[in-house]
Amino acid sequence: MRKLTTSLCAAGLLAMFTSAPAVADNHADQIALGKAVYMGKSRGNCISCHAIDDPDANLAGNQGPPTIAMKTRYPDKRKLRAQIWDASKNNPLTIMPPLGKHWILSEEEIDAVVEYIYQF
Amino acid sequence: MGLTLAAASQVTSAADSGFNLETVDPEADRIALQKYFKARFPESEISDYVNGIYAVDAASREQWEELEEFPPYEFDVEKGEELFNTPFANGKGYADCFENGGIGIRQNYPYWNKEEGTVKTLEQEINECREANGEKPLKWGKGEIAQVSAYMAWTSRDKEFDIQIPTDDKRAMAAYLDGKKFFYAKRGQLNLSCANCHVQGTNIAIRADLPSPQLGHVTHFPVFRSKWGELGTLHRRYSGCHKDSRSNPLKPQAERLRNLEYFQTYMSNGLIANGPGARK
Amino acid sequence: MKKSLIIAAALALAPTFAAAESFQEAFEMNRAMYGTDHTFAWNGKQYTTTHEEEVEARVKPTKANAEALIAKAEAKNKEVAELGFEWKLTRGIIKDAKAAVAEGEYQKALDLAAQAKYHARIGIAQYHYAQKNWHLSVPQ
Repeated sequence: MRKLTTSLCAAGLLAMFTSAPAVADNHADQIALGKAVYMGKSRGNCISCHAIDDPDANLAGNQGPPTIAMKTRYPDKRKLRAQIWDASKNNPLTIMPPLGKHWILSEEEIDAVVEYIYQF
Repeated sequence: MGLTLAAASQVTSAADSGFNLETVDPEADRIALQKYFKARFPESEISDYVNGIYAVDAASREQWEELEEFPPYEFDVEKGEELFNTPFANGKGYADCFENGGIGIRQNYPYWNKEEGTVKTLEQEINECREANGEKPLKWGKGEIAQVSAYMAWTSRDKEFDIQIPTDDKRAMAAYLDGKKFFYAKRGQLNLSCANCHVQGTNIAIRADLPSPQLGHVTHFPVFRSKWGELGTLHRRYSGCHKDSRSNPLKPQAERLRNLEYFQTYMSNGLIANGPGARK
Repeated sequence: MKKSLIIAAALALAPTFAAAESFQEAFEMNRAMYGTDHTFAWNGKQYTTTHEEEVEARVKPTKANAEALIAKAEAKNKEVAELGFEWKLTRGIIKDAKAAVAEGEYQKALDLAAQAKYHARIGIAQYHYAQKNWHLSVPQ
């Protein structure tokens, strides 16, 4: 394990210098991507369980709490990201899919959806 | 301290409904499930759970009752009756394969077959009857098999489910436990158990859909689903549900799905057969 | 009622038994908060939040390398299928990876194969987790 992870570390660091991550520089683009992920049935489909005060949101479900007061609920944006990445960490029985842990969304899509919902 | 904890966990395991072959207690499961739904929906009668989501959601019930006035499955029951009574090429028919000529027996399925060492479902025996008489088996999901099953359910309406788990064959209890485990285990890329939607998530909106309660799940099958625009079998629905968790779904009548049906139908013991049904 | 009291008691005792954070927990927490390629310290050493499959995809994008990772993904997926926990999209992703090879898009093929292999590996972990924890949601 130790040996493997050390090599992971080395390869990871190397990659940081060699490949530029394809992150949307433009914040508006990132928010637009986040919104598409939030609403898209085959992407995040967050809307199926979380109501949100966006005029383009219709027929939201209510399995989960509404996406509201995010800055108050998650003063630390990283904690919000972690909740989306794997909600089962805090509640093993949750109906919420582990969007990052199960690679349902890419890391870029998760960053984008965090930016999008952090406005609400 | 360690000792205190160990003792405490023993107290809880004595009171639970059993998670292994030594302790599993189907009656405790059934009673606990009824208690759970009674607490969640105090207004709903247990006997009404045969009506699925409409037992707990007053808003959609009215629409459904209107739908049931001219049931969309009526044609299928008639067609099923016709198929049921049409002799096979060898002159025999479905009636020759089943107890009581196949009339009023839906509530006895599925059952444990000791000789074969497996759970048998009604649809499985419909196809076995065909094959024993030199006919080709039908496809499991829809069409003629669902129609014959619908007719047989129709002749069994209002009869109480009383699924038995024979104690003289440990494999029967193992099949029940396997079905129970399947129902409660999280699976698929979306990490969902059946229970996520049909126990905890009952009557809470996923987009515009309200998941039905697990209690009474199987009583009204086969079902005419508006989404399908046609009649389908329980195992067709199982495959769809399984897929919704983003699992590669099991095929209809796979052993694990029959075990799931065994567990689920036992949960509905005491409720009446009311198939075929109409659902959104 | 009795059960919740016992859980509360167990929680109160927890600090006494609190084990050090495992590598797995540290890795997942950091990946969850920061995404991939983030450096973190665990037990005095530096690691990154890169999945082993992502590392495997960072090889020279050649036909041979892509095909090798696809073969690994297929083997892993076979393993999870045998446990009855295969995910729905994995075979499709492997198919897309093969199509990418045919198109000469070897990096794309490597990335897809990495994702498929990851899905299969996590599906296996999900199976083992389910064996131990499926009972938690059974109403009592």
